[in-house]
Amino acid sequence: MEQLKFIGKRLVYLAVMLFGVATLVFILTKLIPGDPTVANLSQRALSDPEVVAAYKAKYGLDQPILVQYVLYIKNLLQFDLGTSIRTSKPVLMELARCYPATIELALFAILIAAVFGILFGVISAIKRNSILDQAVRAVSVTGVSIPSFWFALLVLYFFYYKLHIFPGPGRLSNTFSAPVPVTGLYVLDSLLEGNIPKALDALSHLILPGTVLAAFTMGLITRTTRSNLLDVMSMDYIRTARAKGIGKAGLILKHALGNALIPVLTVIGLGLGNLLGGMVLVETIFNWPGVGQFAYESVLSADFPAIIGVALLIALNYMIINTVVDILYGVIDPRVRCQ
Amino acid sequence: MKRRFLALALSVVVALGCAACGGGADGDAPAADGTTEGTTEEAAGGGESSGSSTVVVAMGSGFATLDPGYVYEKYPPLIVNACYENLFKFYSNDGAPEPCLADTYEFSEDNLTLTVTLKDGITFASGNPMTSADVLFSINRCKNLKGNPSFIADTIESMEAPDDKTIVFHLTQPDSAILSKLTYSSLAILDSAVVKENGGTDAEDASTTDTAQAYLDSTSAGSGMYVMTSYIPDEEVVLEKNPNYWGEATNVDKYIVKIQPDSNTQMMTLSTGDIDVAMNMTDDTMAELADAEHIAILNGASKTVGFVMMNMNEEYGGVVSDPKVQQAIRKALDYSGFQIICGEGTKTPYSLIQSGFMGSKGERAADYTNLEEAKALLAEAGYADGFDVDLTVTDLDMEGILLTDLAQKVKDDLSQIGINVNIVSKPWAAGYGDAYRDGTLGFTVMYWGTDYNDPNVQLEFLPGAVVGLRAGWTEEMNPELAALYQETMAATDNDARVAVLEEIQDAMYEDGPFIMVAQAPVHLGYNTRLDGVEFSDPYALDVTLINIK
Repeated sequence: MEQLKFIGKRLVYLAVMLFGVATLVFILTKLIPGDPTVANLSQRALSDPEVVAAYKAKYGLDQPILVQYVLYIKNLLQFDLGTSIRTSKPVLMELARCYPATIELALFAILIAAVFGILFGVISAIKRNSILDQAVRAVSVTGVSIPSFWFALLVLYFFYYKLHIFPGPGRLSNTFSAPVPVTGLYVLDSLLEGNIPKALDALSHLILPGTVLAAFTMGLITRTTRSNLLDVMSMDYIRTARAKGIGKAGLILKHALGNALIPVLTVIGLGLGNLLGGMVLVETIFNWPGVGQFAYESVLSADFPAIIGVALLIALNYMIINTVVDILYGVIDPRVRCQ
Repeated sequence: MKRRFLALALSVVVALGCAACGGGADGDAPAADGTTEGTTEEAAGGGESSGSSTVVVAMGSGFATLDPGYVYEKYPPLIVNACYENLFKFYSNDGAPEPCLADTYEFSEDNLTLTVTLKDGITFASGNPMTSADVLFSINRCKNLKGNPSFIADTIESMEAPDDKTIVFHLTQPDSAILSKLTYSSLAILDSAVVKENGGTDAEDASTTDTAQAYLDSTSAGSGMYVMTSYIPDEEVVLEKNPNYWGEATNVDKYIVKIQPDSNTQMMTLSTGDIDVAMNMTDDTMAELADAEHIAILNGASKTVGFVMMNMNEEYGGVVSDPKVQQAIRKALDYSGFQIICGEGTKTPYSLIQSGFMGSKGERAADYTNLEEAKALLAEAGYADGFDVDLTVTDLDMEGILLTDLAQKVKDDLSQIGINVNIVSKPWAAGYGDAYRDGTLGFTVMYWGTDYNDPNVQLEFLPGAVVGLRAGWTEEMNPELAALYQETMAATDNDARVAVLEEIQDAMYEDGPFIMVAQAPVHLGYNTRLDGVEFSDPYALDVTLINIK
């Protein structure tokens, strides 16, 4: 019951938050300089008042801003995000097209980041101040500091171009056609088709971009895990447990790691939220048709409905992730549920 | 505990490794409907492209539709030219338009009427026969959609179809470029029955009532050598042979056109054999491929041209509106330096008309730059000690070359004769575009992409014409030169047109508010298993001329 109440509260927050984001982004897009007509019509078309008028009428740009806002909110309440000025297609359809590519990559990247980040963090804490610890810390600092576009070019150059170990850019090799879209996640859709080679090919295409995107979050997770685990390991109850003769592995896995993971969950949640917002440069280098590229092209075209759509999507991501993280706190640490 | 961690780490690595090895080992042969299926060795990737009848092309992005009625950007014509056909076509980049769907054509004596007859036996991919009604529908639709390319039909006042094979174009004025315009992708001939079934209309209110774009973004409805079986925006387009093609097809069965904007990515994928043609290469990436055995490279000049504009209206141009100052600036610019900045293949046109166009007088002489003469001209204008001036520049690029780089070069060159240039940045969509269009920019660097492949596109730079007015150059300022606009338009005979075009180029060689500094280079790399790969201004790449050796 408490849990349901909590989720209900969160849903109300979510609705208010989305309304606020929509209003704020709408106002901002109207305040900043940038005319979609100038951004999207050719130099020659701009010289033809008839073409300009037809263009403005088509996208409602000839209406007063207040009317545009009321119309936008009205449509939003009916889950209609409007029509993209750049592509002339419903924004919702465009997001549905490019978001699965981002989700697939983000989930893969966060999985790598979480698994290796926690692993490295634990190793680093156990072997505190050893050479291994120094090496892990060096890797995590590098991961946090390295510019992702440069890292992307580097791994593509060596692991694809020079060493031919991993496949190149794109979501699938040329030998495969895109799977029939069910979820939009190529690995999953290929499995649903029963096509294992295609699923493995899609999975292999995730490795390089996934690793590049994972690097930053993995570095953070490693450092957070290490410092929290060290804090927890110095607590009284751990000393008591050690005195009772519990082995090191049991001590860490059963008694320390659970408590040390709560802040790590927050880092993972924020990292996932960040990744789900799309990564323009990495998506461009790996030819990944995700939401980052869509957002970038939309900004260049002053495509307001699309920009607002992406902003809402990102806000929604963070809200959902934060809610899930809050729930997971309770799963990991029963004391949180009591509060 | 250590072992558990190690086992976990190893299992993840092994799983990923297996996945990597699995990629591309077996392939699915795409079915005609674009869906998957079966296994084939007809792989085009992983360096196994040799011997395959599939060709993979990588091109840039920056477009959002493949509906011919809306296409205007650089790359969609590659797809449109493969899936649709026009009455006329450019079969070579520097040639004149030749009949494609047209069998014969004839101008009336007053050049106000063009009569075209269609070839016999032309069918669309659907199997429908092509008639003159399809031509009327396609051209009217483009015109009435009121999109970016609608201007192309501006000189077509009306059309009629006296029979199934004949189209009569009534023109608003003599138009020597009409055949070139009819080659334009937006005037490709659509299967009107199919397009109408899917929401298309050529009515006057088509800009609000036509709903065929979604359909034409999912498949094609033309008579071309290929049909579009799949289009995933920002990812790839798949073209497969048109089973009902009426003409003689090449031996390429299928094209996968990857949308790959990054030149480094294209270089790597071309080098490894994942793609066969890379269209967005740069000087740096081309250098990397110089020694590759199976790759050929092409460097050339496009017809996109960068220019310096000096407003003739003193209110906006200030000092640079003075013709003597304009001449001095023209003499001071280091054109070979611009060519180095833009990259191998760049050309500086002799004058208004780009090298490669019919009637072009070629390139500006390499020794044209003369600082002493430039200083003397400045002194004659009363600015012996030079002056300060603002140069406005925007955030656009000319085929990958930043306009700010060109502006910086102008600044450096002019500092040699005492002109102190202050570069002012203004975003295109936030002020520059409006100011440029309204003719209120005093001194700027801009570029001009050819709307259609004909030298007449450059006539807009003449006094009183669209771009001329952006530089405050009114017809009254040079009525003789302005009159050459109509004279060129009326010259449907090519020799006569060349003569007028040369006269225009000579008149603007040393005078006027525009200085053409560089034609942007194009770099193209391709696998040597292909034959017939050439850069094409109208189609970016004419895939209907490519064969596998």
